[in-house]
Amino acid sequence: MSAATTAPASARATLQPVPDARLRFTGILRSEWIKLTTLRSTLWAYAILTVLQVAMGALLVMTQTDAMAAGAAADPAAAAHAAVQISTLGVLFNQLVISVLGVLLISGEYGTGQIRSSLTAVPTRLPVLWAKALVFAVTSFVVGLVAVFAAYAVTWPMLQTKGITSSLGDVDVWPHLVGAAGYLALIGLVAFFLGALLRHTAGGIAAAVGLLLVVPSVISFIGAEWARVLSDWLPGSVGQTLFFGGGVFEPWQAVLVMLGWIAVVAVPAAILMRRRDA
Amino acid sequence: MIEATSLTKRYGARTAVDAIDFTVRPGQVTGFLGPNGAGKSTTMRMIVGLDRPSAGRVTVNGRPYAEHRAPLREVGALLDAKAVHTGRSARNHLRAIAATHGIPARRVDEVIGLTGLESVARKRVGGFSLGMGQRLGIAAALLGDPATLILDEPVNGLDPEGVLWVRGFARQLAAEGRTVLLSSHLMSEMALTADHIIVLGKGRVVANAPVGDLLGSTGSFVRVRSPRVDELARRLGQPDVTVTSVDATTLEVRGVGAEVIGEVAAGLGVPLHELTLVQGSLEDAYLSLTRDEVEYRTGAVTGADAAGRAGATAVSEEVAR
Repeated sequence: MSAATTAPASARATLQPVPDARLRFTGILRSEWIKLTTLRSTLWAYAILTVLQVAMGALLVMTQTDAMAAGAAADPAAAAHAAVQISTLGVLFNQLVISVLGVLLISGEYGTGQIRSSLTAVPTRLPVLWAKALVFAVTSFVVGLVAVFAAYAVTWPMLQTKGITSSLGDVDVWPHLVGAAGYLALIGLVAFFLGALLRHTAGGIAAAVGLLLVVPSVISFIGAEWARVLSDWLPGSVGQTLFFGGGVFEPWQAVLVMLGWIAVVAVPAAILMRRRDA
Repeated sequence: MIEATSLTKRYGARTAVDAIDFTVRPGQVTGFLGPNGAGKSTTMRMIVGLDRPSAGRVTVNGRPYAEHRAPLREVGALLDAKAVHTGRSARNHLRAIAATHGIPARRVDEVIGLTGLESVARKRVGGFSLGMGQRLGIAAALLGDPATLILDEPVNGLDPEGVLWVRGFARQLAAEGRTVLLSSHLMSEMALTADHIIVLGKGRVVANAPVGDLLGSTGSFVRVRSPRVDELARRLGQPDVTVTSVDATTLEVRGVGAEVIGEVAAGLGVPLHELTLVQGSLEDAYLSLTRDEVEYRTGAVTGADAAGRAGATAVSEEVAR
């Protein structure tokens, strides 16, 4: 460090002046992409997600009884459904992985103080929130897609040995695989905005995991009609429509309900982000 | 140029910054001086929009910071050396900040070189010492080659070499025509670095003057030691000269220079053992200004003067917000 300490150099660019530097949304997107990809926790989470997705599919095939296999082998629709269930089963676990990552992405900035650097560079604040959400959602969707299709590819030959064949081109197959990746991105966003709202890692993770695991089981104990309706609208149930199929909603409705959940958390998170001291 | 008008920040019932007005001009180093909890950091945070003023406003080059098209070109701020994600490397941290404004990677490497961080640029920030954290914060502040720099306690945690570096660096930035605002609770540091000082106490501006004026207000005097001080005292006694007898052989003379005293002594044939011009220190000026403004005072020490000094020097750490 002695080079810098002996004689302070000029702070002005010694090579060339900084050309037309100004704040742009594309720049903020790039910044968030750099932030996302330069943390080990992100890379680990996405790696774990992919491994789990494939491993859980393979585990399900290996433990499936021959009776189940025989039933699915006889009926093409049942075979397609079995293939989808096997390659998307990991989503049940990975929704937690992606939720934890979503919370960490923003609560980590508050926890470490990074948010003050981020908001000094972007004092209008909200572009940081939207750029972060967009980068996270797109990355999660793409990684989710890779993971789910990898699970399908790995389990396909295993299923074939049991006489169950399906085709990726089948409309009973690929939309569910895409839906699984889409659900991961959407539930990740719900968790991300919960993190932005609470600005606290432990609180954010508790809220996100609570919404996925605790709330559904508590509601299942309530006998009232409204509790049954509410449980259909919870993100966990809506998500199953997207990747397993079935449920009370059409897929497009399920997407809208998920977007509704995101809006319910994102709007107060955005309002508070603008108003609170960083 | 930073201009604050009736700038106020309240946290519940507590007023951290109380309707202050000040202007920070380009081409000089302006020091924000005050005891812990005086409102220095809060004011700086309001300048860059991290804290929302409860009332009043503050502008940078004529506009609120958030309304500039390229905020990092206007202001570079080091408000907190730990405003960095600990899991990221120094270089990636700077790259992420630079990307928001489309600042090229070569400028990132340039500020790494300027702050002497080359050897640790690819290490994760979590393992940095406070001094390296300060350097990284200064590097981030310089990214946009800003016209205004705001540095909160920049020498905190630096080794003596680092302190010298920051001092020289601040002076140079001001010499380049930039506006430099830095804060410290160390008066001695300010005396060496700043041209102009704004003293804050309990959220108010207690003094706002060039360093020279603040030093002048402390009153310097000449200390004279001689075996025959009585003769000297009698001869020096004039209406605008104050002669204080400290002990049997020592005088403190105010209102007349050392040269005159020396000549008078020579005329009388009085031997001098000491003739010293004692400069008032900024410390004294600061302590007398903020004596009543210290927020967290430790228990009083006997003697009024001792109490004031002990109170200001042993100020307890600022309560974590």
